[in-house]
Amino acid sequence: MSSLIWYLYDFARKAWIEGFTNAKSKHDIVEKPSRFRDFPEVKKELCIGCGACTSSCPSPNAIKLIRETDDEHKEGLTFPVINKSACIRCGFCAEVCPTNPKTLLCGENHLIHPEFNIIPSQREFIVDNFLCIKCKKCIKQCPVDAIDVVDDKVQVDPLKCISCEQCLDVCPVNGAMKGLYIDNLEDQKKLILLVVNTLEKFIEKEDDKLRNLPKDSLVNLEFPLSNIWDKAMEIIPDEKIALDIIINTISRLKIRTIDWNSDECKKCQLCIGECPTGAISFDKQKDTIVRDSNKCLRCSICYQTCPFGVIKYFISKFSINLNEDDEYIIYITVKASQLDNDLLRG
Amino acid sequence: MLDAIKDVVRKSSIHVCIVNCGGCNGCDVELVALLSPRYDLEQYGIYVHNNPREADVLLLTGAVTEQWIENLRRIYTKAPEPKIVVAVGNCPQSGDVFNQEGGKVHAPASDFIPVDAEIPGCPPRPSEILEAILTVAPGAIASKGRNQK
Amino acid sequence: MILPIGPIHPGLKEPLRLKLETEGEKVVKAEIDYGYVHRGIEKIMEGKTWQKGIFLAERVCGICSYEHTQTFAETIEKISDVDVPLRAHFLRVLTNELDRIQSHLLANSTFFKTLDHETLFMQSLDLREPIMDSIELLTGNRVNMGWNVVGGVKMDADDSHFKPILKNLDIVEERLQRYTELFAEGPLIALRSKNVGKMTKEEAIRGRAVGPIGRASGIKHDLRNDHHVYKDYFDFNVIWRKEGDNYARTMNRLDEIPECISLIRQAIENMPKGEVRIKADIKSGYAEWRNEAPRGEVAYMAETNGNLIKHISIRTPSIMNIDSCAKYMLKDVPTVTDAIATYASADPCIACAERVSIVDEKGNSTVKNFYEVV
Repeated sequence: MSSLIWYLYDFARKAWIEGFTNAKSKHDIVEKPSRFRDFPEVKKELCIGCGACTSSCPSPNAIKLIRETDDEHKEGLTFPVINKSACIRCGFCAEVCPTNPKTLLCGENHLIHPEFNIIPSQREFIVDNFLCIKCKKCIKQCPVDAIDVVDDKVQVDPLKCISCEQCLDVCPVNGAMKGLYIDNLEDQKKLILLVVNTLEKFIEKEDDKLRNLPKDSLVNLEFPLSNIWDKAMEIIPDEKIALDIIINTISRLKIRTIDWNSDECKKCQLCIGECPTGAISFDKQKDTIVRDSNKCLRCSICYQTCPFGVIKYFISKFSINLNEDDEYIIYITVKASQLDNDLLRG
Repeated sequence: MLDAIKDVVRKSSIHVCIVNCGGCNGCDVELVALLSPRYDLEQYGIYVHNNPREADVLLLTGAVTEQWIENLRRIYTKAPEPKIVVAVGNCPQSGDVFNQEGGKVHAPASDFIPVDAEIPGCPPRPSEILEAILTVAPGAIASKGRNQK
Repeated sequence: MILPIGPIHPGLKEPLRLKLETEGEKVVKAEIDYGYVHRGIEKIMEGKTWQKGIFLAERVCGICSYEHTQTFAETIEKISDVDVPLRAHFLRVLTNELDRIQSHLLANSTFFKTLDHETLFMQSLDLREPIMDSIELLTGNRVNMGWNVVGGVKMDADDSHFKPILKNLDIVEERLQRYTELFAEGPLIALRSKNVGKMTKEEAIRGRAVGPIGRASGIKHDLRNDHHVYKDYFDFNVIWRKEGDNYARTMNRLDEIPECISLIRQAIENMPKGEVRIKADIKSGYAEWRNEAPRGEVAYMAETNGNLIKHISIRTPSIMNIDSCAKYMLKDVPTVTDAIATYASADPCIACAERVSIVDEKGNSTVKNFYEVV
């Protein structure tokens, strides 16, 4: 009997109706400790677009750098985006992020020391099969046998390569063996744009020489590298890397220039309709034809259209070398296009 | 009337089959941890049966390996209608770290069978799995059952 | 009659095909088909830096993920002569033993489930939760912890972490004693597990059984005795038994847990002060390293070239244990249900075992039983 009373007492004590109706799991199953590493948090306004997070991430699809579209007021931001269905929550991206404060945050108690930030990036050596003459000098030169012929193509095995750069020195073709820097792509892009824009402006300034250029002859110009060296150093502070990138850019660069003498222009406005991007327009107030060089594609359609041969089209090629005073000089060769000759003959 | 009763009943009696199609076992361990008295999956009317022929929900873990491509389709056809597939963890969704050069996986699993819900994480915490199953499964099963008519 | 079980089966937690040859109810012979979870981790790791490789090593196996990262890190440390600070070693021991406890509890609970002993199954899963809490508190994640790096461990820990861990250990120790008694003295459990799935010492040596499975058959061998940190700073007993049946294997794992708890207490008590991580410069070279995982011996053989891994090969304990399970334990089992229980008592972890993919001459990639070929 006493056990029955005890049982009833126990039953009542548990207040079972209340417990039954409000049954829910304990709080502690959703509680996370302070060290819990959740998906990384991105503060996109701090990102410098260096790509350290994407190259260090162990999961191939987890993190991507994207760039917003530009609007009238400012340029779009570049920032990393986490794909939650591939992120493994290791926090390695937060560890390598070089900005201060961090763009990526993941777990509060990580030991984030700058000296452990080993960005897994090296110089990558690539053979340009278009330029390669298969002389196999690099294969003989390589001290670790990292270069080999696979499927009739010379290839560098990145596993064996020790970045000694001897293959670059021995290669007889300028630009066939490329040593790419793969860690600062955004800066490289800026540097290349700087070089191309400065050279184009420099050529356009020399329009007196160009307009009087007889057919089948060349104009040679010289542009000292020291003119843009300070600006280049601001973008990439390392002298060797900056010089390498500039030389690589210039050796394959080809700039097309469109130019006309507005005094000779007959204002027939035929070129306006033909321009594919709408870069050419008629300025009524000044009574001239204007070309917007930002929109222009340098496609030469206007040059082919112009019935009076006023519009001129030039192609410039470049090479870079040391002169007697050990200064780097960019040698520019400008040549008028031979298209009209071909057309007349045809 | 019968449909309404079916909806109610289906919401609170879900049989689950765990299909490990080639993962690291981490998500399976967390699913087993869900059975423990602390999380107690069965109080929500979910029963882990591990038999595809009786399952309403297939819990898919693991990146799809070579041998699983055909077997996964077979298991999906064997499960009775209405059925839903929940991809637990990153592997069936994107292949996780295995989906790169040298790996022998064929992720994502949605290339082979339709996947209704995804729970990200490597592995997700049991509370995250529980939350996702409870928000997705009952409604999805009830609505799928109605669509079959 | 040949009875195929798997790859998806209520009795199995992982995909694997068991072929049981039966005479009536008695199981005479067993054969195992692997190949359902081969992902090619070793191949993926080639040409990656250790920073990426360590996360791949973690995903070899989800249950003993900690031991894989530690062995990987120690292999690379041996190649590049890194002197890891002592505090980092102690923190590694602490996490390693926590991981071992949860793995043993999980293995035992699956065995209890196959015995249809729901009480012990639920209780040992419940007992595992405080340990998982401790792991999450210390490392930030429950399963794949991301805690080891070459040169130490990622984060420091202090009293705010050690006190809850010690508290959890007290709970586990007290409850574990009750469950061990429940298991040891249960008459029905004894009926289902004693003298079932016997493997003698000679068979265990021939089948290369390692870890608790080998120790339950009388091989008194624990690799922690050879590890320099365990040898110099810690005291522990190697638990071993002679019977070699399901009961002995389960009891062996249950008895190892108090040893793990005492190791954790020693680690926290004698925790030295200092740094937990030093900068590691990776050199080129080759090294091997072996460690005692919850299931036995894990061996890593790695060759590096500068910062990159040139080649790596991983040997996990499960492949030997599953093989000796099929060859010796399952050769004479009274019923089919006991065969499943015997298989569970060998603590198989298929995700660990799948290292090899065999391609036939025509180029069709098929994955076959490794031991058929060798």
